[in-house]
Amino acid sequence: MRRWIVFVVITLASFVLFHMATLHFIPSTIMSAVQTRMAERGIPINQWNASPRMTPQTQTIVRPSPDLSYAICRFNLREGAVLISAPGWDGYGSLSVFDARTNNVLVTNLDGQSAGVLLYHPTKPPKQEGRYYVRTDEEAVAFSGEGVALIRRVAPTKAKHNEAAQLVDQSICSAVNWAP
Amino acid sequence: MTMKSILIWMSAGVIGAILGTISALLIAGLLPIGPKLGGAVAINNWTSDWSIGSEAANPYVRARVARHGLLALAKEEAVYFTRTTDDDGEPLREACAYRVKGATFPAEWWSITLYDGDSRLPMNDDERLSFDWTQANMAFGDGNEWLFDVRSAGLGDDTTPWVSSKNAGEFDLMLRLYRPSSELIAEPESTLTPPSIRRLSCDGDVS
Repeated sequence: MRRWIVFVVITLASFVLFHMATLHFIPSTIMSAVQTRMAERGIPINQWNASPRMTPQTQTIVRPSPDLSYAICRFNLREGAVLISAPGWDGYGSLSVFDARTNNVLVTNLDGQSAGVLLYHPTKPPKQEGRYYVRTDEEAVAFSGEGVALIRRVAPTKAKHNEAAQLVDQSICSAVNWAP
Repeated sequence: MTMKSILIWMSAGVIGAILGTISALLIAGLLPIGPKLGGAVAINNWTSDWSIGSEAANPYVRARVARHGLLALAKEEAVYFTRTTDDDGEPLREACAYRVKGATFPAEWWSITLYDGDSRLPMNDDERLSFDWTQANMAFGDGNEWLFDVRSAGLGDDTTPWVSSKNAGEFDLMLRLYRPSSELIAEPESTLTPPSIRRLSCDGDVS
C-alpha cells in the first residue's frame, strides 16, 4: 500500500514540475527560435529591416496583419545601450519593444510624430555620476539581454506599404558608444 | 528498498513527466488540438484576453500568445478578439459562405483578418485577406454600418466586399482594435458591439 502511495506522490510531483517547467520555457524558446530564423535569413543584429508586404507566401510569424507595414530590429545590449527610433506616419503607427520572454515592455505612438527610446542595461544607466552614454531626448528604459523592436504602420495598399518601407532608412536601431 | 520499488517509482517519475509536458503543450496550444487565444473576455463569442503582451499574463496565456500571437501588443495599444464560430455556434469553415456585419468600433483603427487552423494566412492568391477601417470607410462611409462576405471564391460582381477563405479549412476571424478607447478597456462588454457572422450557405446545401 505504501509503495503505491509513494507512486502517486511521485507521479503528481513529476507532473507539476514538468508542466510548469514546460510552460515557463515555451515563450523564451519560441522567441529564441524566431531570432534564430531571422538570423538564418540574414537579418543582422541592431539594424532595422523592412519586412515584405505580408501575404500567405511571405508570412514569417503567426497571425501577421496584411494591412500593416512591419519593420523589425533584433537587438542585444552586449555592446552597450541601444538607441531605437523611427519617423512618424500619417495614420496609425507604433514602435514597440519586446523582451526575450515576449513581454511588450514598451510601445510608443508614431502617428504624425517620430519616437525613440534608449535601452540600457540596468547596471549601466545612461546617466550616472555625471557620465552618460549619449545626450538624447529619448525616453530611457532599463533592459537586459536581447529583444525585438517592431514598427507597425497602417499600409493597406502596395503604394502605402512601399512608402512605409522606405522610412526604414530614417530609422535607428544601433548600439550607442560609451561617451564618458 | 527493493529493485522493484525503485523501478516503480522511476516509472512514476517518467509518467508524471510525460503527462505534465503533454498537458502543458496542449494547454499552450502547441498541439493540433487545444485552446488558442482568448477566453478571459468574451462578447458574443468573440474572445480576448486583456493580459496579452503584459508581464501580468499567467504562464498559460503567455505560452498561448507566444505560439498563436507572438509580438502582440499590450491592451492599451491594441486588443485582439478571435471568433471561431458563426452566429449558430457552428465552426467557421471554408465550405461555407458567411456575411459579417458590424459598425464603427471605439478605436483609432481596426481590421478583421482570416487565419487558418494553424494561425496562418490561408495559402491562396485572392489578395483578399482582411477587411479594415479603410475599406469600410470607402465602401460605406465613416461611422456607418458595414458588411463583407467570407467565401472561398468571389461571385464575380464584387458588389459586396469579400474576404477569401480558400484553402483555409476550419478558420477563425481576428478583430484587431488599435488604440482602443479607455471605456472599451475598462468595460468591454458594455462598450463593444462586435460583428455578427451569419452563415449564408454551405457546399452541398440544397437550393
